[in-house]
Amino acid sequence: MKKKVLATLLTCAMAVTALTACGGSDKGGETPKKEESSSDKTEITWWAFPTFTQENANDAVGTYEQKIIDAFEEENPDISVKLETIDFTAGPEKITTAIEAGTMADVLFDAPGRIIEYGKNGKLADLNDLFTDEFVKDVNNDALLQSCKAGDTAYMYPISSAPFYMAFNREMLKDAGVEDLVKEGWTTDDFVTVLEALKDKGYNPGSFFCNGQGGDQGPRAFFANLYSNHITDADVTKYTTDDANSIKSMELISKLIQDGTLMNGSQYDGTADIQNFANGQTAFTILWSPAQPGTQAQLLEASKVDYLEVPFASEDGVPELEYLVNGFCVFDNGDDAKVEASKKFIQFICDDEEWGPKNVVRTGSFPVRTSYGDLYDDERMNTLATWTKYYSPYYNTIDGFAEMRTLWFPMCQAISNGEKEPEAALKDFTEKANETITKK
Amino acid sequence: MKKANKIRMRETIVSYCFLAPVLIFFIIFVLVPMAMGFVTSFFNYTMTDFTFVGIDNYVRMFQDDVFIRSLINTLIIVVGSVPVVVLFSLFVASQTYEKSAFTRSFFRCVFFLPVVTGSVAVTVVWKWIYDPLSGILNFALKEGGVIEQNISWLGDKKYALWAIIIILLTTSVGQPIILYIASMGNIDKSLVEAARVDGANEFQVFWKIKWQSLLPTTLYIVVITTINSFQCFALIQLLTSGGPNYSTSTLMYYLYERAFKLSEYGYANTIGVFLAVLIGIISFIQFKIFGNDVEY
Repeated sequence: MKKKVLATLLTCAMAVTALTACGGSDKGGETPKKEESSSDKTEITWWAFPTFTQENANDAVGTYEQKIIDAFEEENPDISVKLETIDFTAGPEKITTAIEAGTMADVLFDAPGRIIEYGKNGKLADLNDLFTDEFVKDVNNDALLQSCKAGDTAYMYPISSAPFYMAFNREMLKDAGVEDLVKEGWTTDDFVTVLEALKDKGYNPGSFFCNGQGGDQGPRAFFANLYSNHITDADVTKYTTDDANSIKSMELISKLIQDGTLMNGSQYDGTADIQNFANGQTAFTILWSPAQPGTQAQLLEASKVDYLEVPFASEDGVPELEYLVNGFCVFDNGDDAKVEASKKFIQFICDDEEWGPKNVVRTGSFPVRTSYGDLYDDERMNTLATWTKYYSPYYNTIDGFAEMRTLWFPMCQAISNGEKEPEAALKDFTEKANETITKK
Repeated sequence: MKKANKIRMRETIVSYCFLAPVLIFFIIFVLVPMAMGFVTSFFNYTMTDFTFVGIDNYVRMFQDDVFIRSLINTLIIVVGSVPVVVLFSLFVASQTYEKSAFTRSFFRCVFFLPVVTGSVAVTVVWKWIYDPLSGILNFALKEGGVIEQNISWLGDKKYALWAIIIILLTTSVGQPIILYIASMGNIDKSLVEAARVDGANEFQVFWKIKWQSLLPTTLYIVVITTINSFQCFALIQLLTSGGPNYSTSTLMYYLYERAFKLSEYGYANTIGVFLAVLIGIISFIQFKIFGNDVEY
């Protein structure tokens, strides 16, 4: 009898222990709060995509970010920052899940495409108070400032920006005898001549890549430049990708793919296409940016690829470039102290006299603050800086942008594989893309 | 009588105490999310909205071209992979189960390697194999005179879905082979010998004796492989994003796209409910077809 009682007690004890363990995470979550309130230290979390390049090739991901945090914490002992690095592949889904689960970080380093979407969905703290007269005057670029806002509400505090453009393999161009054609102000006819010359020499062309959403701004900008057409109207209220010039552009792309002077990129996304170029397999890529030589340094070095950077070719010789804006947002997690601490932190990263310019350089882009001047003592970067004059209307913050991206690459694949005629595919895409703007 | 009832009651209580921890986990992490998924499938559930819409999501689903294409692709994957997995596993097991312990272990290791390697690593290797510019498959086929020009295996809709099915096969045959080898080792040898003494040929021995003994294992393999094939996701996400032009989009991938890229949680849950019901129905049919002859 005693044994049975003992057995029953032990069983119950085991169940209670297990249940206590199950509930342990909640209690664990409460403890730091108590500590936090007792020490009056505000703890915030920063989720960072790998936009900052590390100072040394051997530094682990997050090393540079941690240095920023250390400097900030030294100046602000009442705030502690916890860093979590996320990658571009799984990061967006991780953010979505965290937002729904109520476990999102306080600070995110990203770009307007996603940030403004979160802002429109009411997940972010507004940053209007950071857009002071001094800051607005210093940036002095209405389009760029507007890319950080939804209507009149600012959700992203920008630090740097850079254009996207093309890059060619210089040796291949020389060998094909067309290096002199590839230059700022070149035309679509020049581009076609270059492609034919490269093909005659037996080089693999770059691809009109469309395997997924990764880097899809490259093919869109390439398409929009060929006949000086546009993705949206000037006020960024609707997609205009089915007008006559757009159809002409896509017909040219389709023809180039059929002729074998442009590769069918249905199997490649932006990363794969860039790597094909950087390892010397293809003659050009339609997605390159100032930071790419650093990111692809190992491949470029190993393959001895000498790259030639150039804006997209266009009918009139005046390119329109899409651009990246790097910046920070603050999630409204219901704690005013954390919001304030987060704002202080992002201002430190972007505006601190010592760390601000240093951080811009680590993004491999150009400062949004004009007062930072020329941060790169480098002819190449000076040239690229002048291309900011080619910035096109920024449409990544348009309503439904995320859904438009899911429609773009299947349309490109259908055209590239000859499954659909360019005109029909563009009409269908444009109709559906415009529906995403008004969809609730 | 009263004492017997008391003892039974005590045993029942003890049994439930042992079950309680797992049961609570199961309820919290499986049953509750399932119920929430079912309930929210009747809502327009996004980041900003949570409105009851009745069966609108279900109506929308059957009018959604991409959903229909994803459903067809999923069914092709299931029909294309399940019979091949069963037959291939059966063949490999039958050729190895009587071999030495070393040989059996070698083959088990070879076929189980893709299963334990992890889908991301396997996918990266296949991505290289299928690469249009530098992939070994194009190289081998060109050298062998089978093709003249490189093929974009994952970028051409003629090949993309089959390329996915081939990868799925390599990751699906490991467990069935191990199960069949174990199961074949347990076949009563005296029955086989008796049948041979009675003049049965090899086909008859297989069909009348061995196959009957393997039916419970086959039922398990068919059901599990079917469920895994219906849930094919990682390969699609990592290799094709559902392309080219939705030709490899599966229900699981489409569900993921709707939920995590577009934040349409309600509609994604509708697809999830449909997928669960579909898998349930097909598993039930499989149990009916294969289970009738199973003797445990």
